[in-house]
Amino acid sequence: MAYIDPAPAENLEKPKIKEYMALAEDLGIADKQFFEVLAHAPNYAEALFNAMRQAYENGGLDVRLKEAIRIQLARLAGDKYFASLRSKKAMKAGLTEELIESACGDFESEPLFTDAHKWAFRYGYLMYREPAKVDKAFYDEGKTHFSEAQIMELGNYMTINYGMQVFIRTLNLVPKDSE
Amino acid sequence: MRSASAKQQGLTEEDIDEGINNYEASDRFTDAEKAALRYSDYMASDLDKIDEAFYDDLKKYYTSEEIVELGTYIGINIGFHTFFGTLDFYPMFAPDGRLVSQDESKEIYGTTPVSHTEGAMERALELAPDSAAE
Repeated sequence: MAYIDPAPAENLEKPKIKEYMALAEDLGIADKQFFEVLAHAPNYAEALFNAMRQAYENGGLDVRLKEAIRIQLARLAGDKYFASLRSKKAMKAGLTEELIESACGDFESEPLFTDAHKWAFRYGYLMYREPAKVDKAFYDEGKTHFSEAQIMELGNYMTINYGMQVFIRTLNLVPKDSE
Repeated sequence: MRSASAKQQGLTEEDIDEGINNYEASDRFTDAEKAALRYSDYMASDLDKIDEAFYDDLKKYYTSEEIVELGTYIGINIGFHTFFGTLDFYPMFAPDGRLVSQDESKEIYGTTPVSHTEGAMERALELAPDSAAE
């Protein structure tokens, strides 16, 4: 059970919250529990979900790569809530549980990942485990695989997700399906 | 960088230094402020310490709305500061308000985050054009 009680029912009835709750479940990137907590501060809930959704939906990177990175980061953060969720769009596009396990584990050895994919997973891992290794040489290598716009997309995508994941991890939130 | 509105409301460099390095023992902060600083400290450095008991303590000082505001604010800042820290860019302005180059900013602020009371203002004043002309 979450360490913060659900928000008042009237907060969850606010039009934007209801809209985002439906969208989140449709996309598979958050469920009602996320909003039950965040809706204590409805403006924050709206802004944060919108930021997460924009980071997820916009940009030029493959949705499967972004979803695998999101789950990788959730596991690094120890956040079982977001680590348990699956983007319907990414799974429909061909992401599998086996590839997710490789992304979260020994991605360097996975034959189905390109050098570009491996750099992206390394980026996520090092950013939140050994940030000192994300230096100029690392970025120079990244630029052989991705444009600067794509690297910014990845970086910003990771910050929003990891930031939310460390907070959610502390709340003891678990998706309803996995209870 | 420093929030202008926070400074206008009285936040000082000494408050910032105490808040980072010595908040538990400091007499600058209320028990509620210490709880919030502890929340931020643990979220950045030791997530296992934020458990049910921690939240029960936090709830003595803050409403659920305030805790959600604090928690998301801290989380997002942790995410961003880690990312921005890898990009090796520096503030556009020196502590004295001058617009400076990235090289000069790096010299003023240093390559690791440090207190502004440990020489940043002095370095900024030394590097100021008026100072060089004297």
